Amino acid sequence: MHTILNHSHSLLKRSYISLWLLLLVAFGLVAAVSCFDEVKVGGHSFKTASFFDELTNRDPWIVDTLPVPVDTGMLDSVPPAPRFPVPVDTASKTILFFGDSMLEGLSPRLAAYCEENGHTLYTVIWYSSTTQVWGDCDTLSTFIRRFKPDYVVACLGANELFVRDIAKKREKPMQHILDQIGERPLLWIGPPNWKEDTGINDFLADRLDEGVFFLSNGMSFDRKKDGAHPTSASAALWMDSVVMWMPDHALYPIRLDLPSKAKGRPARVTLLQPLK
Amino acid sequence: MTVTADISTLWHNVARLLDYAPDSPMLFSSGTFWALFLVFMPVYALLRNRLWYMLTFVVAFSLYFYYKSSGWFVLLLGATSLIDWSVSRLMSRTGVRWKRRTLATVSIVLSLSVLGYFKYANFFLWNWNRMVEGNFQPLDIILPVGISFYTFQSISYVVDVYKGRVSATTTWLEYVFFLSFFPALVAGPIVRADYFIPQIRANYHANRTELFAALWMIIVGVLKKAVIADYIAQYNDLIFANPTGYSGFESLMGVVGYTMQIYCDFSGYSDMAIGLALIMGFKLSRNFDFPYKSKNLTEFWRRWHISLSSWLRDYVYIPLGGNRRGTARTYLNNFLTMLIGGLWHGAAWKFVFWGAMHGLGLAVHKATMPLTRRLPDAWWVKAAGWTVTMLYVSLLWVFFRADSWLDSWLIIKNIFTNFSLSYVAPFVSVRWMWLIMMTVIIAAHALPSRIVDAAGTAFVKSWWVVKLLIFLITVQLVLEFAGEDVAPFIYFQF
Repeated sequence: MHTILNHSHSLLKRSYISLWLLLLVAFGLVAAVSCFDEVKVGGHSFKTASFFDELTNRDPWIVDTLPVPVDTGMLDSVPPAPRFPVPVDTASKTILFFGDSMLEGLSPRLAAYCEENGHTLYTVIWYSSTTQVWGDCDTLSTFIRRFKPDYVVACLGANELFVRDIAKKREKPMQHILDQIGERPLLWIGPPNWKEDTGINDFLADRLDEGVFFLSNGMSFDRKKDGAHPTSASAALWMDSVVMWMPDHALYPIRLDLPSKAKGRPARVTLLQPLK
Repeated sequence: MTVTADISTLWHNVARLLDYAPDSPMLFSSGTFWALFLVFMPVYALLRNRLWYMLTFVVAFSLYFYYKSSGWFVLLLGATSLIDWSVSRLMSRTGVRWKRRTLATVSIVLSLSVLGYFKYANFFLWNWNRMVEGNFQPLDIILPVGISFYTFQSISYVVDVYKGRVSATTTWLEYVFFLSFFPALVAGPIVRADYFIPQIRANYHANRTELFAALWMIIVGVLKKAVIADYIAQYNDLIFANPTGYSGFESLMGVVGYTMQIYCDFSGYSDMAIGLALIMGFKLSRNFDFPYKSKNLTEFWRRWHISLSSWLRDYVYIPLGGNRRGTARTYLNNFLTMLIGGLWHGAAWKFVFWGAMHGLGLAVHKATMPLTRRLPDAWWVKAAGWTVTMLYVSLLWVFFRADSWLDSWLIIKNIFTNFSLSYVAPFVSVRWMWLIMMTVIIAAHALPSRIVDAAGTAFVKSWWVVKLLIFLITVQLVLEFAGEDVAPFIYFQF
């Protein structure tokens, strides 16, 4: 036994310990630095690993197994009604509807409204996209240049329900999205939460003007098998709810009379694959 | 900088990270694997000289590794190993030729049936529906990760035992070690029994030089996969998702980008796998040898995914007759072998077409060899050969990558009908990082092998602190360029 231990010890010492120590020290350093969101050196911010966040975050699955603190901040996330009703714009619009996979359900219903009311709808679905994805590139500008919309509808946030420190992480991309939209009237449909989020809804409500953000959190949905996406029928009701909310609450209400058809076809649908 | 922590969830999160998660397979470049490997290494080193303990430990780790990526399909892997090993034992006990042949056939048919069900059942149904206007609904089948790789390994073992190239005295533990060896389990290289199994009992210990050469391979692999391939994929995906949405120049860049992306993705994974195996004292054969330096298609397939092309040569091309049955039959065998190679990559006609066109290209190259051999050994001949080969290979990657035939044709058409150099300047100003990445990998690929080898040697000889620094810089580069979602290896799907 003693011989075996000695041999093993010398084996470790001889061949592996140097490499193992290198990997261990590197891991220790990376793990230690991961306690910080970012590290600034000479004005440049370096990203850190997600070890710390992954080991200490609370979402999403343990939500069901741990006591959930009483949420007293719910009401803060509900956007207040605009100070005064805004007259409905009855002119025909060219609408750009962009966002994540939630548009699969929303877009056909909005297209039906558009057909009924003389609007032209262009839909751009970027699967698995987030405010970060859209905000880190100029893809939105490209579509704005191409379709020349005079009204923009967004539905983003479902893929970032559980991102920690969302306000800090998404400030720049969000600003870039808003810069690209510019002065065009905007309506932003919030994500259909299936669990309580870590701040995306509060962040959107905070960053968007009064009457621009439609809070979907709190609504009831029939979900597809994935547990996240509303079924086609439920998504149509979701769109109907947005339309019903608009006359009294939206900053830029447009004419959206109830369509005779359940679903319509946008003038063009562009599908973008996930970044990775 | 402030640090706030909620450690009440620590154990829950550790358990979650170690549990099967369908959308986040354990990648060699992930922090979870890194942490586990830190635990694995010293235990492995302590058990290395005690064969059965070592085998048990590594098999358990490998099966866990597979479970983390594929869940309970790990049982399928276990069952496959048990059946094939049992059949090979039975084969070794009988000297009757027809019995041996029957047993080998049963084993191969079983392996191919399992692969066929998981990988090709819906493809068959789709084609059936198209042919007879049927309405069979697609089956709800999840493809086990890496099934194509380990099925080919298992088939090669049974054939090798049948042919007497490998001794069937191998124990089940040794066999399952070979089949589930985690560095090569989910995306190759395809390990051959006659090369690998003798290494198990050889008890080879990697020396200091080999250990750090292995670390260098892992670093290079991580840079290729997690930095370059994943980054350039972002632009390439935009082009392939919207074939008519970009100019001809941008589409061309997307095609060139994908050509380098798939190389970096797959060869990067192979580098990591070979490096990890070498740390454990196992030598896996080289899987990529600068394929884009090839001056003809035959040379390309000797440099690209070498473990697959040599497997196809030994277990498909040669049994079909190889080059022993005349010129026409040789070309046909080449074509059929590549057709199977194409189908191996995926259950879709686009892969069949991709394989068939490579088969056709190989046949054409062989047929024109009497003519090309007469050409002078001049630089312009080599340049012309390289250009034709790269154009052909890159063009076929379009069909391999695009979502549909229509998309493939639209991208190609766009390159030829909507090309304008006026897009160059804005492209450079917007996609400068993409261009830097592409320049780096193309330059590294074009360097003479001796320079690349010299870089590895310099790393091995460098001080420990320098190695640590290089490793940390690599990790930081991964963090800087990483997206939020896990980007699986392209070859996981095969």
